[in-house]
This record gives sequence, C-alpha cells and structure tokens, in this order.
Amino acid sequence: MNFELSKEQSLLQAMARDFAEKRLEPIARQIDEENQIPAEILAEMGELELFGIPIGEEYGGAAGGYDGYVLVMEQIARISGGVAMTLAAHTLGLGALDKFGTEEQKQKYLPDACKGKTIASFAFTEPGTGSDPKQLTSTAVKEGDYYILNGTKRFISNANHPGPCVIFARESESQEVTAFIVDKWCEGYSISEPWAKIGMKGGVLTDVYMENIKVPAQNLLGQIGQGFPILLYGIALGKIGTSTAALGGTLAALEEALKYVKEKTHRGAPIAKFQAIQLKIADLKIKYETSRWLCYRLGWLANNIKDPAAFAAEAALAKAYCGDTVVEAAKIAMDAHGSYGLMKDYNIERILRDALIGPEIEGVSDMQKMIVAGSLLKR
Amino acid sequence: MNIVVAMKQIPDLQQIRIRQRQPVLDGVPAALGMIDKNALEAAVLLKEKEGGQVIVLSAGNEEVEETVKEALAAGADQAFLVIDDSIENADGSVKAPILAEAVKRIEDVGLLLFGEGSGDNYSGQLGSRVAELLGWPQVGFASKIEIQGSQAIITRSLEDGDEILEVNLPAVVTVLGDINEPRIPSVTQILKAGRKPKEVLELEELELDLPALPQIKTLSNLAPETNRKQIKVGSVEELIQALKSEGVI
Ligand SMILES: Cc1cc2nc3c(=O)[nH]c(=O)nc-3n(C[C@H](O)[C@H](O)[C@H](O)COP(=O)(O)OP(=O)(O)OC[C@H]3O[C@@H](n4cnc5c(N)ncnc54)[C@H](O)[C@@H]3O)c2cc1C
Repeated sequence: MNFELSKEQSLLQAMARDFAEKRLEPIARQIDEENQIPAEILAEMGELELFGIPIGEEYGGAAGGYDGYVLVMEQIARISGGVAMTLAAHTLGLGALDKFGTEEQKQKYLPDACKGKTIASFAFTEPGTGSDPKQLTSTAVKEGDYYILNGTKRFISNANHPGPCVIFARESESQEVTAFIVDKWCEGYSISEPWAKIGMKGGVLTDVYMENIKVPAQNLLGQIGQGFPILLYGIALGKIGTSTAALGGTLAALEEALKYVKEKTHRGAPIAKFQAIQLKIADLKIKYETSRWLCYRLGWLANNIKDPAAFAAEAALAKAYCGDTVVEAAKIAMDAHGSYGLMKDYNIERILRDALIGPEIEGVSDMQKMIVAGSLLKR
Repeated sequence: MNIVVAMKQIPDLQQIRIRQRQPVLDGVPAALGMIDKNALEAAVLLKEKEGGQVIVLSAGNEEVEETVKEALAAGADQAFLVIDDSIENADGSVKAPILAEAVKRIEDVGLLLFGEGSGDNYSGQLGSRVAELLGWPQVGFASKIEIQGSQAIITRSLEDGDEILEVNLPAVVTVLGDINEPRIPSVTQILKAGRKPKEVLELEELELDLPALPQIKTLSNLAPETNRKQIKVGSVEELIQALKSEGVI
C-alpha cells in the first residue's frame, strides 16, 4: 500500500494550485456574481491541458489518468466551485465518449474537447425524471440515415458552450433508451435562459430544447438500447468529478475556518483558544481527510476498472459521502465565523452555497446510498 | 548556443514547521529555489527566441533526480546532475568547483544563469565564484537579458537606476526575482518531465580536489524579534495622533 504522491503527481497538484490561486482566486467572486467564466480563463485551462486529463494522448488528451484529474479538480474546486462544475460536467461527457465512442467518433470529438476548444455536455435529466431512466420521454425517430430527436432536457451543464453533447432519448422502434452525440447549436438545438441557481455559479445550467434535431446515424453512441449502461458507466465516472468538487469545497471550508479563528479575537486572544472552536477545526480536518482519501482512491480505481458495477458502487459511496460532507463542513466553518460568515465579504458564504449543490446532483445522496446498499444486498 | 541554468534543491519552504526555534526539515519535500525558477524562465524565453537547448544543472543528494523534474516540466530540455550526499551541507567554496567542472563538460554553453541568491541560504556567492573558476565575465542582478550575436545586452536594476551592459559570451548572469513570472507548466509537460534526457554523475567522477567540509556552519537562523507597541486608540483622531508621535506619518 502506498499513499504517497509521486513527484509527477505532486507537481500536477502544485500546478493546479498555482493556476487556481493566481488566475481564479482574484475573480472567484466575480464568476459567482456574473454566473460566467471569462473566456480567457477557459482558454488558459485549455492550454494547460486541464480539459482532457484522463483521456489518452491518441485523442489529444494528457493521459494523466483519473488520479491526476482528481488532484487537479480538488485544487480548482478549492477556489471556484463554478469552474469545478464546468470541468466536471465536461469530463463526464468526455468519459462517456472515450469509453463508448467508435474510433471515428473519438477522433472527431475528443481532440478539440481535450484542448478546451469545445466543451462537452451530458444530458440525461428531463423535467419528469432525474434519477429514473424508465421515465425518459425524449424521442429519437429513425429517418433514412438520420435520427430525429425531440424533447426537453432539464438542468444541463455547459449546454451554452459549443461542443459535443451526449443526449439520452428513447429510440422509437425499439422503445429503448439510447445515447446520441449531438453537436450543440446545430439546427433544432436551443437552450433556456440560465437557471438562477444557489451556488457553483459560472457552471452555467440551462434546459435544452430539441426540436427535430437531425442526428446522423453514425452519431449513435454505442448500440441502440445501450443507453442505460452508458448512462450508468458515464455517471459513475462523472461522480469522480462531483465527489472531488465537493472535496475541494471541504478543503476550502477547513482553510477559511482556520484562517478566521486565528484572526478573530475575543478579549484580546484568538477564538482558536476556545475548545469549542478547536473541536470544529478537528471535525473539519477529519471530514477533509476522509473525503480526500475516498476521492484519491476513486481516481485510482477509475484507472483500473475491472467490474463496472463494482466501480459504480464505489463511486456512489464516495459521492454520497463527499457530497453530504461538504455541506456539513461548510456549515461548521460558517458557525466558526458567526454572523460574519453570512456576509459576502467572507468566502465561506459562497463556499456554503456551492456546497449545497453537491448532494443534489448526479443522483441525490439517497439514490447513491441505494446503489451502495444494492451492491451489498443483491449478492 | 546552449543555456545552462544552475538550480538548487532546497526544502519546500512552505512546508517547513518551526519547533523550538529550529526548522524541522524531516519529511519536508524538496523543491527548487524560487529565484532559480525565474532564471529558468529567462533561459526558456531566450531559447524560444534564439534556439539552442536549456540545460538545468543541479548538484545535490540523490533526491535531486526527482526534484529536477520540476525544472524539466517548466521548460528545461535536459538535466545535468552531480550526486553526492555531502553536497547538501556544502558551502560555496565546495559547490563552485563542482558546478564549474560540470559546465566544462556541457557542450557549447553560451550563457550560465543563476538566481541572485538561493531560496534557503541566500549567500549569493555561487555565480561569482563559478565565473571566476571558468574565467568568464559575470553580471549580477539582471532584470532583462537579450542575446545579440556573440554578446548579451543585460539590464541591471539597481536601487537608483538601470544600468545597461554589453557582455561577451560565454558569460555568467545572476537574475533578479522579478525578472519574469515563471509560466505554469501544462499537464503533459509535467507528466513527460521524467522522460527528458538526464546526465547523472557521481561527485567522484568529476575528479576534483575539494576543500574539507564544512567550512561554514549555521549557528542560528531566526527572524529578528519585533516588539509591538500595542498602543490602543479610541478614535480616528487619536490614531492619527499616535501615528504622528511615532513618526509614521
Ligand atoms: C448544478 C447542477 C448541474 C447538473 N448538471 C446536469 C447535467 O449536466 N446533466 C444532467 O443530465 N443532469 C444534470 N443535473 C440534474 C441532476 O443530475 C438531477 O436533478 C439529479 O440527478 C436529481 O434528479 P431530480 O432533480 O429529478 O430528483 P429526483 O430523482 O426526482 O429526486 C428527488 C427526491 O426523490 C427521492 N427519490 C427519487 N427517486 C427515488 C426512488 N426510486 N426511491 C426513493 N427515493 C427516490 C430522492 O431521494 C430525492 O430526495 C444537474 C443539476 C444541478 C443542480
């Protein structure tokens, strides 16, 4: 067993930290207020190859593995939840393309996406369903060499950015859930105004309207009727991103609390001298370390998947834990701030709003626990 | 023409803890000095314009083989390393002949860059000592370096003005920490750093007659004590008065 980072891994972590502190920290609040990431930031992330870390070099990726992705994501999420959300949703889309795409599809979509020239999406959720594929209503009707897609997708990350979107719809002949690669902004593709969500702003969330989108048959991802396994596999990989985005939030909460309790004084001495504050600090550290090792291990597991169902259960466990934990951690850190923590002048206000997203996405925490329990009880 | 950048392996200063007024170095990972990274960035910028290779030169214990990956990720093309445990505690009189001998073994060196001082001891001697041993001209405190044929045009930023010099190559130049902002390396530059060419020599292979160790011993290394006056004020007027009487404004 080896828990030490290699030199390359520590350099990767240091690089992401450096980028996040130098480029994101000065504008983190602006990103939150404007719900937008400046184009030059996305361009620089592309140059630094942050958009294709786990993808192989043959497709323009950095071949840094999901373990490398985790190290980078943590540092970015520590500074900006919105940027982390954008990167997580993008990498989720890429993971599905990488795993299930044909050679031709991968050559067409991955290189630009890995360089950040395009940003990927993954669209499953609909107004009527978030956790249950059986209730999916979007349709795909075969017409000659095309599929005609219709329907509405709800809460889709990155739908505003041009690039590939993996969209799940019910193929009309088989009535089976099937995945398609749609070029965002093709004819028939439109989006709603961005949802005004509570946190992780900058990670733009819109609905997607599909009105007779003509998708060439060669853009079918996997096989007809393979949508459900693609969804499960893709989302399982996606949970590496959401778990680690939560981890970064927990780290930020710990650091903000540490900073504040050393600065804020009571009768001339820092409040850190109170045992009640020390217990909070210890709790935060415990929450951070437990989340951290779950995420790092999940990254390593993702590089070595043998049984997708077993991996999905591991991912669900990490996601349930890290998603719930970041909310607890942010609340503890806010309590340590007292009323000041409620003010926009203090980062913990934004960190707590960002944290609240964690348990509710890519399947709510209860759904994750059902996957974990299922993996134990179905034996 | 190749550019050599001498970089020192030091403990990662951000991770050092102080216990009983002494730095605790156990378990602290090694890193490269901050100003050394500026020197490297200056070299990489010159190379991008003028061509040639950037070779990072480092002497240290065996850990330096790992530590140097940071420089290879940040744009150096090759590494030349001299390994010996004794080098970590050696002072300038020992390190200078080692580095000078190493530079002699590297082909077509036009410029040898140093940071103005190392990240830990900051003795700032090595540039001058190595230049002396090589018989090369040396320019210190550079804030700008340009190559013009067989010469370099160097701006030195001094307290009361900028001095511009023309120096014949090969030359030794020590750079200031604000000469540039080192770039952030990309993911693959980091991941491929370990695959770049490395020449690793044991100290004996240089066949040098070195002075006995150590010639200088650090007895204590502490920040000066500052006693805060802890003057309490009740109003802005009192604050202004206090600042005036302290001679601050
Ligand atoms: C910031 C953000 C980004 C997002 N990005 C994307 C994206 O890129 N792509 C995408 O497709 N979606 C995205 N979503 C949508 C998100 O993944 C879904 O909303 C989420 O999976 C939850 O689905 P739901 O809202 O329909 O909740 P539901 O699934 O309806 O869950 C609501 C409640 O019902 C309970 N529940 C549901 N089903 C069961 C059951 N079978 N048994 C017991 N209890 C149950 C749950 O515990 C939960 O408390 C995003 C959402 C957000 C907020």
